[in-house]
Amino acid sequence: MMSPKKMKYRKQHKGRIHGKATSGTYLAYGAFGLKALSPERITARQIEAARRAISRCIKRQGRLWIRIFPDVPVSKKPLEVRMGSGKGSPEFYVSRVKPGKIMFELDGVPRAVAEEAFSLASAKLPIKVRFVSRD
Amino acid sequence: MAQQNTVLTAVARAKAGKGAARAIRRTGQVPAVVYGDSKEPVLVSLFEKELIKASSVQAFYTSLCELDIDGKKHKVLPRDVQHDAVNDRPIHADFLRVTDKTVIRVGIPVRVVNHKDSPGITKGGVLNLVRHEIEVFCRATEIPEEFTVDLTGLDVGHSIHLSALKLPAGVKPVTQGDFTVVTLVSPSALKSEADEVAAAAAAAAAAPVAGAAAPAVGAAAPATGAASAAAAAPAKDAAKGKK
Repeated sequence: MMSPKKMKYRKQHKGRIHGKATSGTYLAYGAFGLKALSPERITARQIEAARRAISRCIKRQGRLWIRIFPDVPVSKKPLEVRMGSGKGSPEFYVSRVKPGKIMFELDGVPRAVAEEAFSLASAKLPIKVRFVSRD
Repeated sequence: MAQQNTVLTAVARAKAGKGAARAIRRTGQVPAVVYGDSKEPVLVSLFEKELIKASSVQAFYTSLCELDIDGKKHKVLPRDVQHDAVNDRPIHADFLRVTDKTVIRVGIPVRVVNHKDSPGITKGGVLNLVRHEIEVFCRATEIPEEFTVDLTGLDVGHSIHLSALKLPAGVKPVTQGDFTVVTLVSPSALKSEADEVAAAAAAAAAAPVAGAAAPAVGAAAPATGAASAAAAAPAKDAAKGKK
C-alpha cells in the first residue's frame, strides 16, 4: 500500500474538499485514464485494490500510472473509549480527490482491455468515475 | 502541411471578466480571444457546438483556420482550448493571428505506424511513447500535420530518437539534442519468462559440475530442474490468487 515515507506532522485536520480539480485534469502519460467525477477521500487500500484489479485485468501487459498519492493521515480513537483526552492515533492514509482529477492512466493495451480494467477498478472506488482517452 | 479549410464564426464581445464570460457561456457560446501580429487583442465569442466539432479533429492545433468576426475574416491558428475538468465542455479558446511570414512554436503530434512489422511488439513488448508531441519552430503556413514513426524492425529494449524522423525543410525542433521519441520496453510478463529461461539456463550450467562423474545423470538434471520450476510457477500463481 502507498504511504508517505516521512511526515512533518503526524496528525492533520479533517478538512473539506471544495471545488473542482485544477491540476492533473488531462492525460499526461498514457492513452487512457480514469477521471473522478465527485469529491471524496480515497484511501490507500482503495487505491491498492484498484491497482490490483487493473494489473490483473491487463495480465501484466501495458503500463499503469497512479496519479494520486495518499498523503493525508486519518486518525481514529480506539473502540469503547470516552470522548476527549486528545486526538486518536493515525490509522490510515487518504488522498483528497476533487472532481476532474485523473487518478489512473494506462498505456500499451487495446482500448477494450483498458475499458474493462477501469470498469473493474471503478468497483473498488467510492466515487463515480469516467473513462477518458486521448482520441 | 497546415491546411486552411475550417471556418469558424465569431462575434465580437465588449466586456471582459468572469461575469461577462459566464453570461456568454449561458447563451451557448464560448468566450475566446484573438491576438498576435503586433495588433491589439480582440475579445470574441464562438458558438460552442461549432468549436467542439472543429476541435475534435486531431489536427486542430496544427492547421490554420479562418475566423469570421462580424463579417471580417482573419487567418488564425488555434493555440489553446480550455476545457471544464468535469464535463469537458470548452470554457475558453485562444487564437493566434498569423501571416505568411509568421514563425511559430507549435507541438506536432507523433503517430506510430507499422506495429505488425515490429518483432518486439509481436513478442509482447510495450510501446512507450516518450513524446506524444514534438515542439518545433516553423512557419505558420507550413506546419507539419504529424510526425510518423515507423516501428519496422524495432525490438524490445530498442528506441527511436529524433534523428530517425524526417523533419520537413524549415522545421526546427525546439529542444536541442537527439532526444528519445519512442521506446519499446519489455512488459513484466515477458521479464518473468526471461527470468525463468535464465534460471533454467543457470540450473543447466550448474548441473554438469555436480554430476561430472555421471554425465547421464547430469544431463537429466536440467530437465528435472526446469520441470520442477515450471510446476512451481502455477502453484505460486494459485497461492497469489487465493490471497
